[in-house]
Amino acid sequence: MGKICNLYKPEEISRFVDNELPPDHYQKIAQHLTHCRDCNRLVEQYRSISLAFNRHADQQKLMIDPDQLTHKLALSVKPSPEKSYRPVWGYFGKNIYIKFASIAAILVISLFMFQGDLMGPSGPSAIVKSVDTDFASVMIIETQREKHTIIWFSET
Amino acid sequence: MGKLIKIICLVAGLSLLCCFSQPAMAENRVLTNVKVIHASTTSETVDASLKDIIPELRSVFKYTSYRLLNDQQMNLGFKQKGRVTLPGKRTMIVMPADMEGRRIRYQINILKNNRSVFQTRVLLRNNSSITIGGPQFKNGVLLLNISGSIQ
Repeated sequence: MGKICNLYKPEEISRFVDNELPPDHYQKIAQHLTHCRDCNRLVEQYRSISLAFNRHADQQKLMIDPDQLTHKLALSVKPSPEKSYRPVWGYFGKNIYIKFASIAAILVISLFMFQGDLMGPSGPSAIVKSVDTDFASVMIIETQREKHTIIWFSET
Repeated sequence: MGKLIKIICLVAGLSLLCCFSQPAMAENRVLTNVKVIHASTTSETVDASLKDIIPELRSVFKYTSYRLLNDQQMNLGFKQKGRVTLPGKRTMIVMPADMEGRRIRYQINILKNNRSVFQTRVLLRNNSSITIGGPQFKNGVLLLNISGSIQ
């Protein structure tokens, strides 16, 4: 940065170059620059840096195609309809046979479930609603394995 | 997504319709089978035709011999009585009364010398059987295995 003036700090000079100072402060530094060589040198340095930066920024700006940028932004913002279907179609895949197989499986399972044969016997083979006999001893037994119902009465 | 869900719902709905409409369309007759078995401890004879029911009976009874005396099959309509002659001047009357869900409501009556000695009402699971035992016969007992199947 070279020699620094004792009156103004480099930050103040930088803000002077960038027109960021209040008007009265700006005027004071402008008057100071008429006779301070160090501050002038600093101003030149800052201006050259600022000029180089602006040139580089302009070059980068020229490389950007505004139409292409607009198109890319539109694509990223717009919701894709395919993406919303992804969870279900992604699960079944695009294979038509898997879809048909899943439908067939639902059909078979629902048919057999309501027939009550797929899951094996549920409950006893017979539910005894009433027994009427002259004999005192009547037993209702259910076997452990097949839940087969047995009614036993003694004639004696 | 909507298309697949619609197809699945349609298939499931049709299958449910088939399941619930089937009883009304087809369940007019009940194939009723009565096996009259003589169980005793006098020998170790086991009839080969009883192989399906023997493990269940053996899990409960201590009889060593199971002989098939009579195997009678009847194709009965609802409220139609089927008569089976039993040993010892006994008769069994079996009547499928109606359906309750997937079960057949049976009324079973055992008569001895034309006098009712035992009556029961049971809900028999379709394609299943019940065994009624107890009547004394020739140093053993009679076991009456009744199975029902909706046609």
